[in-house]
Amino acid sequence: MEGVLSILTNPYYNQVLTMMGIFLIAALGLHLITGVTGQFSFGHAAFLSIGAYSSALMTIYLHTPFFLNMLVGGLLAALFGILLGIPSMRLTGDYLGITTLGFGEIVRIVFINTKITGGAMGLGGIPKETNIAIVYILVVLTVFSLYRIQNSRFGRALAAIREDEIAAETMGINVYWYKIKAFAVGTFFAGVSGALFAHMMQYLNPSDFGFSRSFDILNFVVLGGLGSIPGTILGTAVLSLAPEFLRFVKEYRMLIYGALMILMMIFRPYGLLGNVDLVRVFRSLRSRGAGKGTVSGDS
Amino acid sequence: MPVLLELDHMTIRFGGLIAVSELNMQVEEGKIGSLIGPNGAGKSTVFNVITGIYTPTRGKVTFKGQNITGLKPYAITSLGIARTFQNIRLFKNLSVLDNVKIGRHCRAGGGIFGALTRHPGIKREEKTIAEKSLSALDLVGLTAKKNEQARNLSYGEQRRLEIARALAAEPVLLLLDEPAAGMNPQEKQTLMQMILNIRQTGVTILLVEHDMKFVMNISDCVDVLDYGCKIASGTPSEVQKDPAVITAYLGKEVG
Ligand SMILES: Nc1ncnc2c1ncn2[C@@H]1O[C@H](COP(=O)(O)OP(=O)(O)OP(=O)(O)O)[C@@H](O)[C@H]1O
Ligand SMILES: [Mg+2]
Repeated sequence: MEGVLSILTNPYYNQVLTMMGIFLIAALGLHLITGVTGQFSFGHAAFLSIGAYSSALMTIYLHTPFFLNMLVGGLLAALFGILLGIPSMRLTGDYLGITTLGFGEIVRIVFINTKITGGAMGLGGIPKETNIAIVYILVVLTVFSLYRIQNSRFGRALAAIREDEIAAETMGINVYWYKIKAFAVGTFFAGVSGALFAHMMQYLNPSDFGFSRSFDILNFVVLGGLGSIPGTILGTAVLSLAPEFLRFVKEYRMLIYGALMILMMIFRPYGLLGNVDLVRVFRSLRSRGAGKGTVSGDS
Repeated sequence: MPVLLELDHMTIRFGGLIAVSELNMQVEEGKIGSLIGPNGAGKSTVFNVITGIYTPTRGKVTFKGQNITGLKPYAITSLGIARTFQNIRLFKNLSVLDNVKIGRHCRAGGGIFGALTRHPGIKREEKTIAEKSLSALDLVGLTAKKNEQARNLSYGEQRRLEIARALAAEPVLLLLDEPAAGMNPQEKQTLMQMILNIRQTGVTILLVEHDMKFVMNISDCVDVLDYGCKIASGTPSEVQKDPAVITAYLGKEVG
């Protein structure tokens, strides 16, 4: 208990955990797009930046309440998600990857060249509204929402698209439209995450939202396990805490990412927890425990 | 018997290859029709045109009196046509039950809002989806496997799961592309009974199958394709006697 308290009151740990929670929300959004629906997106940071700048500008100029600004940030990100989805969701694989990558760069360059966002100088003077409690309440809400989405008619349709698009379409699923919907939901969470980020850092710069940020978030999703919420949480925790606590990890971050990716592709192509339904694991463990002890501990 | 499905001068070409040429064909309501022909004759292509995966180059597809040519697959499915695939296309990493539930997609309406709120209407809908899916699994004898991942099923079980998934959509017309392929004689016998049971529930069936004994035993009428052209059509016994069929197709097996 003491230890937990000291982590929460220690400003450094508090900041690290808060940032982890903020990026976890974005990663969970990307998990729906890439992990569940199977669509590449290399420009997720652009949607964070849309949520970040729009909510920050609302706070600064309109003085509207933070939660409203965050919601608007999420919805604006989702709107751009839909606008990007309409032309690009007919593309697959590499082409979709390149399009989202390009979109990410375009958004960044637009923010660099816009006056009201402070351009390349950045946007300062954003009041601090984000704290660890708000972030983790929203993390819980996000996990809850995604869990419900995945276990619904809508979520099953998304998983069907990942598994086999032609079969999905033949089952009566409008694949194109469902991909856009998945993109809208996933980018909404990116926008919310961006709003939290803006009101945590109190300063925004377009360079916060470059390709390497998108790549980080994609790594969170892929390392933990495509299609698995616990996997995304694990991936985010490992990859955002490791650089903080192991100095050498920070210096060789890209190198380690690369090596990790290759190792994962060889040994665990579905990620650390990919394709593992934890609820089912717990249930089977429990039913074994309740059984008559005939199980030899071989697994 | 009224005509349920009609192909009218349907032609489809892939580049220089005419896969199906000027095909006229009818399937009557409540019947079991079969489409046979040598490898590459164009049978699966006909299925792909009926279900909207391909758009025909020329001609028309009519279902329940409605022109469905060029409609998207998901629209055609909700009109009441379901199918299985020759090269099994299950959702391999999903559970057997989820596969069937997805098959029922077109008979339900819950969206994102319903997923988040789980309001009473959605709970009722999910209950119906589960019940109907379980009864489809029961019909093909896969109830015990409902929590398995689809990829862990045996080949024959996967074929039956494809049928259950198609049945979950409560189709008017069921298209089966080589359902008996890779099955042993005993499994084929069970499958035949299963198909007859499905017809008993009022579903019209169109079958593509290479096993002649299977086709001749189960079909009310048979159409024969060769190199994309229809060369014969009639009852199983008429078709078996047809000289064009014997040379093109059965001849190889007899001789
Ligand atoms: N998408 C496509 N693009 C190009 N050619 C195609 C395509 N689909 C089918 N074909 C060609 O059309 C012809 C008919 O193929 P189809 O799969 O319909 O045959 P089939 O009667 O189902 O044969 P089988 O008994 O081997 O399943 C073949 O020559 C095939 O190569
Ligand atoms: Mg075929």
